[in-house]
Amino acid sequence: MKIKKILAAALAGAVLTGVCACTANSTVETKGDVSKQAILVVSFGTSYNDTREKTIGAVEKAIEASFPDYDVRRAFTSQTIINKLKDRDGEEIDNVTEAMDRLVSDGYGTVIVQPTHIMNGYEYDEMIEACAPYEDKIENLRYGKPALSSDEDYEAVVKLLADETPDMTAEDTAVVFVGHGTEHFANAAYSALAYRLAAEGYSKTFVGTVEAYPGMDEVKAKLENSGVSKVALFPFMIVAGDHASNDICGEEEGSWYTELKKEGYEVTAVKKGLGEYAGIQQLFVSHVEDAINGDGEEE
Amino acid sequence: MIRAKRILCALLSVVMITVLAACANNSKKQVNRNAAIYFTDDAGKEISLDAPAERIISLYSAHTENLYSLGAEDRLIGNYHTAVYPPEAAKLDMYDYSADPEKIITANPDVVIIRPHISRTAPDFVEALLNAGICVVSLYPDSLDKFDDYINKLAALTGTEEKASELLDKFHSELQEITALTKDSEPKQSVFFESTETNIRTTTPDSMAGQAITMAGGINVASDAVSSEKGGTIAEYGIERVLEKADDIDVYVSQRGAMNSGGSLESIAERDGYDVIKAVKNKRVYTINEKLISSPTFRYVKGVREMARYLCPDIMDNYDEYRNDKEATRKDFANLIVKHEHMPIYIPSSSKYYDTPAKGHTFGLFEDVKWQDNDFDYIETAVYSGAVLWTKDGDKEYFHPDKSVTREELAKAVFVLGDFASNGKDTPVSDLSECDNSRIVQILVDNGVFDLNGGSFEPERSVTNNEIIAALDML
Repeated sequence: MKIKKILAAALAGAVLTGVCACTANSTVETKGDVSKQAILVVSFGTSYNDTREKTIGAVEKAIEASFPDYDVRRAFTSQTIINKLKDRDGEEIDNVTEAMDRLVSDGYGTVIVQPTHIMNGYEYDEMIEACAPYEDKIENLRYGKPALSSDEDYEAVVKLLADETPDMTAEDTAVVFVGHGTEHFANAAYSALAYRLAAEGYSKTFVGTVEAYPGMDEVKAKLENSGVSKVALFPFMIVAGDHASNDICGEEEGSWYTELKKEGYEVTAVKKGLGEYAGIQQLFVSHVEDAINGDGEEE
Repeated sequence: MIRAKRILCALLSVVMITVLAACANNSKKQVNRNAAIYFTDDAGKEISLDAPAERIISLYSAHTENLYSLGAEDRLIGNYHTAVYPPEAAKLDMYDYSADPEKIITANPDVVIIRPHISRTAPDFVEALLNAGICVVSLYPDSLDKFDDYINKLAALTGTEEKASELLDKFHSELQEITALTKDSEPKQSVFFESTETNIRTTTPDSMAGQAITMAGGINVASDAVSSEKGGTIAEYGIERVLEKADDIDVYVSQRGAMNSGGSLESIAERDGYDVIKAVKNKRVYTINEKLISSPTFRYVKGVREMARYLCPDIMDNYDEYRNDKEATRKDFANLIVKHEHMPIYIPSSSKYYDTPAKGHTFGLFEDVKWQDNDFDYIETAVYSGAVLWTKDGDKEYFHPDKSVTREELAKAVFVLGDFASNGKDTPVSDLSECDNSRIVQILVDNGVFDLNGGSFEPERSVTNNEIIAALDML
C-alpha cells in the first residue's frame, strides 16, 4: 500500500515535471523570440564562384543594408549545388530546411523568407513547402514574393530594364532578354513581360527562354519582322551562371549568340545576371518590406 | 562456370581456400606464375589468368578509354558511370563503386579493373567483389614513367599486346615530336598551372601536367611547389605566391574537370589582384580539361599538344601545308579554322554530357568522323564553334569531311567567327537572291572580305585552301 502510494506520487511528479518541461520547451522552442528577427534569402544557387557574389550576394547585401534590425541569412534550393560547393570549396551553405532549423534553434521569432526567384514557379512552390512545417515553430513567419508577382512588379521591371539598357530605344538594334523558361504555368510570366514591354513602347525589345515558350524560333521571327541589323542579348536570369555563359552568351554552336549571328545579325551579348541590377536588388528589398508589413504574407 | 574455373585469379583462390591465406602476395600456391598472363598489380597482388578476360567491367574512366584505344572494347561489358570517352563508351552499362556491389556481381564479369583509390574509399565494396569470386585488378600509374607498364598490363589482360606496343611507340614519338618542335622556341614561356581555383592549388613538377609543361617547351613558374601528401601531385600554392610572380607568368592555364569552379575565362581575369598578372594583361589565359593533361591515357599527347599550342601558337598551329590552290575539303576547312584562330580543342567537360539532349551536334556522334581519326578534334572544335555546319538525316549526324566548301559556307564561317558590321555601302550583288544568307553576304562584300566576279558572289562555287586562308586573314 505504502509502496503504491509512493509510486503514484513519484509518477505524478514525473508526469508533472514532464508536462512542465514540455510547456517550457514549447514556448521557447516552437515560437521563438519575436524581437529576434531574421531575413532568410532563398536562391536556387550557383556553383560559379565569380557570379555568385555579384548577383545573389549583391541582393543579400542590399537587403542587409535596408533592414539593419534583421539578421540576413542565405539558403540555396539546389542540393546539387550545395553538395558541389561543399566538396569542391569546403563552403557550407544551408538548404531551406537546414536554414529554418538553425533559425528555430537560434531562437528567432520573426523570420521573413525572401526568394530571389523571378517567378512563382516550381522553385518557389518547393520553398513554401519546405517552410510550411515551421509555421508552428516561428511566431511570425512570413514570405516575400518573387520578382514578377504583381502588376507593379512588371512595371518596375520594365522601367529598370530600360534604365539599364540604352539599346532598348536604339533604331537599328533589337534587345533580347533570355530567361530560363519552365513547364510550370508560371511560364506565362515571360509573355506577360513581353506584352508589357511592347505596351510601354519598346517595340524592338523581345523576350525568349532557353527551355520553354517563347523559344529561339519565336524570337527569330520577331527579329526578322523588326528589320534590325543588330541584336543585343541579355540573360533574364538572376545569376549569370551556366545558362548565361553557355546557352545564351557562349560563342558556341546552339547558343543564342551564335545562332543569331548565323542569321546575319551583329550580335553583342552581355553576360550580366539580373541580380547585378540595382533596380532588381531594390525590387527584392521592396518585397521584403511588403512581407514585413503583412502585404506579402501567404496563407 | 567453366570460364570461372579457367581463370585462376590469385585473390579469388586466396579468399576461397583459407582464412590464413587472405594475404595474396604471400600465398604462392594460388598463383600460377607460369600462366599465360601473370603480373603484379598496383595493389601488390599477383594476378594470373590462363586466357585474356572476356567480360571486363572498368571502374575508372582512364581504363575504359585505354581499353578502347587497345581495341579491346568487345571485352568490356561495363563502364564507370562518369566515363564518357570515347563517345561510344557512354552507351555501356554504367557501374559505380558507391552503389551496391550486387549490381556488378549479377553482371557476371570475369575481371573488374579498379584503381587503388577505390580500395581506399570503398574497401567493403571491393571485398564484396572478391567474396563473390570476381578477379579484381587494381591499376594506376602514378607517374608518366609508369604509363607503359600500365598499358602493357591492360594489354596482357585483354590479349592486345601488339596493339599496345604500336600505340606506345606512337605515343612516345608524338611527344618527342612536340618537344622537338618547341624546344628551341624563344623566348621561353613561363606557365602557371592552376589545378584548382580553391586555394590556388598547382601541380608538382613531376606530375603528368608538370611534365607536359616541360615537353611543351615551357617553364613552370611554380616549380617550387611541394605536395603535402607524399607522392601527391597537387600542391597548395596560394594567391600571394602567384601574385609575387605576376610579371613572370606568360601563360596561365587552369585545369577543368570535376573539381572545376565552373567559372569562365573572363572570371579568372576578374579575380581580385589578377589584373597585374602578365598572362591576364596579354589575354593568354587558357583552360585545359583534366582528362587530357592529368589522366593516364593516350589522349595525354593531345594535352601536351594543347599546352604547346598555348605556349608556342605560331609553331604549333602552322598551316603552311594548306597554302595551295587545291579545292579545299571540309576537313581542311575545319583544320584551318581551328589553327588560324588558335581555338583550344573542344572536350565536353560534364560527365552528364550524354544525359541531356544536345540542341545542336552531339560530340563524337558524326557517322563519318570517328574519334580515332586524325581530324576528329579539329572537326569537333570547328563545329562546336558554330562556324561550320553539318547535316542530320533522321537520328544520324554527318559532317561530310571530304566534300568541298562553298563560298557561302566560307562566308557564314567568317561572319560567325568575326565581328563584321554593316557599313551601309550596299554594294550591288547580282545573285544576292540566290544566297540563303543574303544579310551575311552583303555585309562581307561591303567589308571587302569577298570580291565579286562580274558583280556575282557565286555562292555555290567551291573554294581553295588559299581562298579560305585569305578570308580568315580578314578576321
